[in-house]
Amino acid sequence: MEDFEAALEAVLPRLRRFAHGLARNPADADDLTQATAERALKSREQFQPGTSMAGWAMRIMRNLWIDTARQRQRREGMLAPEEQGERVGAEGAAESSVELHYLMRALDRLPDDQREAVAAVMIDGLAYREAAEFLDIPIGTLTSRLVRGRQALMSLLGEQ
Amino acid sequence: MAEPFVSDEELIAWIDGELSAEAAARLVEAIERDPALAARAAAHRRLAERMTTAFGPIADEPVALPRKETAPVISLAEVRAARAEAARTPRRWAVPGAIAASLMVGVLAGQQTMMVASVDDRSGALTLATPVARALDRQLSGEAGPIRVALSFRGKDGGYCRSFSGQHIDGVACRSGGGWELRYAAPASHAAGTGYRMAGDDVAKAAVVEQLIAGDPLDADAERKARAADWK
Repeated sequence: MEDFEAALEAVLPRLRRFAHGLARNPADADDLTQATAERALKSREQFQPGTSMAGWAMRIMRNLWIDTARQRQRREGMLAPEEQGERVGAEGAAESSVELHYLMRALDRLPDDQREAVAAVMIDGLAYREAAEFLDIPIGTLTSRLVRGRQALMSLLGEQ
Repeated sequence: MAEPFVSDEELIAWIDGELSAEAAARLVEAIERDPALAARAAAHRRLAERMTTAFGPIADEPVALPRKETAPVISLAEVRAARAEAARTPRRWAVPGAIAASLMVGVLAGQQTMMVASVDDRSGALTLATPVARALDRQLSGEAGPIRVALSFRGKDGGYCRSFSGQHIDGVACRSGGGWELRYAAPASHAAGTGYRMAGDDVAKAAVVEQLIAGDPLDADAERKARAADWK
């Protein structure tokens, strides 16, 4: 059981990075990481020793994110769409963090299916075959979502 | 001679290292012959590099497992109990002046003494390192991260203060001159990797919070508002 916690803790930084690919801002990414870790600790009986802790925890994260994304859509359906205010810390607002906010905002404009494909491959670094397996889609579907997501990001970010 | 059209899919697969060696070699030849194709490839590569540069370092920041107890490091109830206790019994130590307050490292309410190593006794020495300051800027109480913020409150001078807990240090910091200044710090009690906290540290930290606090700690709503206003 101690092993389980150590293994989970070891993958948390990677999970948190993936969360930044899914969530709309760094605070939400940390919330998502926290919720994933809590759910993983609670569901530890379901983890099969010998399988990938990262893969298991990432699936938990994706499910949580899908649930919160649905809630978000319902909520936003009732509210006027609003540009997320760009808030950068008063202290330590390094350029890298400004760039991170900027990229996260662009990712937030993608449809969810393109966004998770982009996050799995470009942020988590999964190979196409692994990403397709993780998202439970055929590899051709993965590559087409990835390509459309990247094309959209390029035009959003002015990379032509 | 017209070049065969190269799709974005193929370019992206090449950048992601998903093309076979043969297909990659053919593509490299095509790129060398075709400046427009080279420009498209470069744009895709720039995007990939921007993503890696921005998101990659996140995985280098340590993240602690959520604590067994879900309550913040210092709970509202504890602070209120400490305040009620303080109201009943006379202060065991006089209110220090502003200078003493800013050096309130290791000044404790009589029970135990705890000193932080290597804090220089000079002005500005207690300004916090960037990762801590950033967490204090943007994290709400109880959120996961390398640094966990436990509690936010208004200090007696009107500025915001926040208590936090990191990998190596537990502390209380208050806004000062546009940044965060450390008012109390102690080695993190969970640094040994147990994931559990010892009660004594909370008592010491709660005493410092009690000394600094004006009114009640911020609730989640007030905290979000304070964050939106950059803690001004």
